[in-house]
Amino acid sequence: MEQRFEGTPQATIRLEGRRLIRSEVSNDWGLLLRWEIKRNGQVVATVNARPDMRYEHPDTAPGEYTVVLQMWRYVNYAKNAQGEFTQSRFVNVSNVVTYRI
Amino acid sequence: MLNIGKEKVSLCSGLTRRSFLQAGVAGMAGLWLPDLLKLEAQGSVDPSRARIKNCITIFLVGSPGHIDTWDMKPEAPTEVRGRFRPIRTNVNGIQICEHFPLMARKMDKVSLIRSLHHRTGATHENGQRWMMTAHDFNADSIKPHSGSVISRVFGQKSELPANVILPGQIGNTGAGNLHGQSAGHLGSAHEPFFLGSDPAAPNFRVGDLEVPAGMSASRLDARRELLGQLDQLQRRTESRSTQAHDSSYNRAFRLLTSQRAKDAFNLNLEPARLRDRYGRNTFGQSCLMARRLIEGGVRYVTVNHFDTVFGQTCWDMHADGGGLNNTYLDYERHLCPQFDWAFTALLDDLEQRGMLQETVVAVLSEFGRTPRLNGRGGRDHYPNAWTNFVAGGNFRGGQVIGSTDRIGSRPHDNPIEPPQVLASIYRGMGINLDTTTMPGPGERPVRLVEAEPIPQLF
Repeated sequence: MEQRFEGTPQATIRLEGRRLIRSEVSNDWGLLLRWEIKRNGQVVATVNARPDMRYEHPDTAPGEYTVVLQMWRYVNYAKNAQGEFTQSRFVNVSNVVTYRI
Repeated sequence: MLNIGKEKVSLCSGLTRRSFLQAGVAGMAGLWLPDLLKLEAQGSVDPSRARIKNCITIFLVGSPGHIDTWDMKPEAPTEVRGRFRPIRTNVNGIQICEHFPLMARKMDKVSLIRSLHHRTGATHENGQRWMMTAHDFNADSIKPHSGSVISRVFGQKSELPANVILPGQIGNTGAGNLHGQSAGHLGSAHEPFFLGSDPAAPNFRVGDLEVPAGMSASRLDARRELLGQLDQLQRRTESRSTQAHDSSYNRAFRLLTSQRAKDAFNLNLEPARLRDRYGRNTFGQSCLMARRLIEGGVRYVTVNHFDTVFGQTCWDMHADGGGLNNTYLDYERHLCPQFDWAFTALLDDLEQRGMLQETVVAVLSEFGRTPRLNGRGGRDHYPNAWTNFVAGGNFRGGQVIGSTDRIGSRPHDNPIEPPQVLASIYRGMGINLDTTTMPGPGERPVRLVEAEPIPQLF
């Protein structure tokens, strides 16, 4: 049987200065959980969020940073000729927070 | 009609039950206790000295690449070392893949066995047979699953069967149906109970534990009483083996009416937060159910992580662009995180309940994967070297047993044969491997395993 994933994951994140703090994830699918960090709208880093509830991104380049927690959503393992998934993808599972440097 | 083993037994109600009763949980009655008593009397089994009382086996169908997971080779050439990086663990000198960050914090509880190998063909089924039965065999001499052996030696502790496989049996993995997940010559009385449904499904239930709609418990009791009277008559004229089957009716009824059995399978009795901690997916919820079943009296639970290698994500990382197209991306985003999350939840949960010392968790697979990446960036089957591991069960943790050469192509020291893993578990459960035998083909007694335990685990 294909793996089934139950419910919709949901978490909240907040900022203490530049430090990111996340809640536990409800309806956690148990797949890759990551911080997605954008600067001025461009993704500059993705960091595994499983090991810790807190994370501070070391980048200090000036700009507006937006951060969201994402989880891998498995639909199937179909991939295109370049090896990229065609239907499975990362989805946001938290609110978005913003800070400026 | 009730199926006990291969026999169809008429019930007044026309009651039909599938795998649970077909598999012979019912047929087990009257068989197990004499085995244990006899083995104890001859000194072959000593439960009082058992370091392990229960076993949970997690079987990683498809087989992870050892170099990408638990035997990394960061100094090897690019075409060998792969894409992932090693991270430190909480045991000095032991490193594992960066995609197991939670397991890395529990390495003190884990013994990595890095020098497993076998010399039979590189099919999934060969490896499944070795790791689940400690034997290679063909259709003429099917060897029993390790849980069936434990069922035969120790029997049931409760209304629940001694040997359960979650969530279902292994299906097509490419080369036939001898996966090593049957009772073989031990007979239907010791067949595993296959859950056969998905514990992550919102409407999950175990159909075989449901009394049919419209039949009350008292009505079921009345039928048991009537059946009992018929049994009394029959017993006067029929053989001993028939009597064993007769008494199995009582066990079947106890299963159908046991609240404890139903509760053991009911994940809704767990806090939502704990269900989240295991992962709201088929594998994670199966691991949680494994803990519940052990707690409820099951001795041996196997969790199959996937049931096929075709057309879906699994550990079989050929990257072939077709039906075997698992790649590094599957490992990074799905497989490693899913395993890391559920496995560490299971260890934590067992430990918090005081069950980890008496419960061994064995993570097994069929083989390793080729040291050199194939032309598409995947790795193919490779039985010459791989890593499996155990935790809990009073086995020594925080160690690496054996090693491979610099590219992970061969055992470098302390080569370990597959049967040694089950030999270690059997020995840990108090079984004397030199004197304990099982009925083999034609009732000829055979040793459980032709190998010595791994001494470093004790």
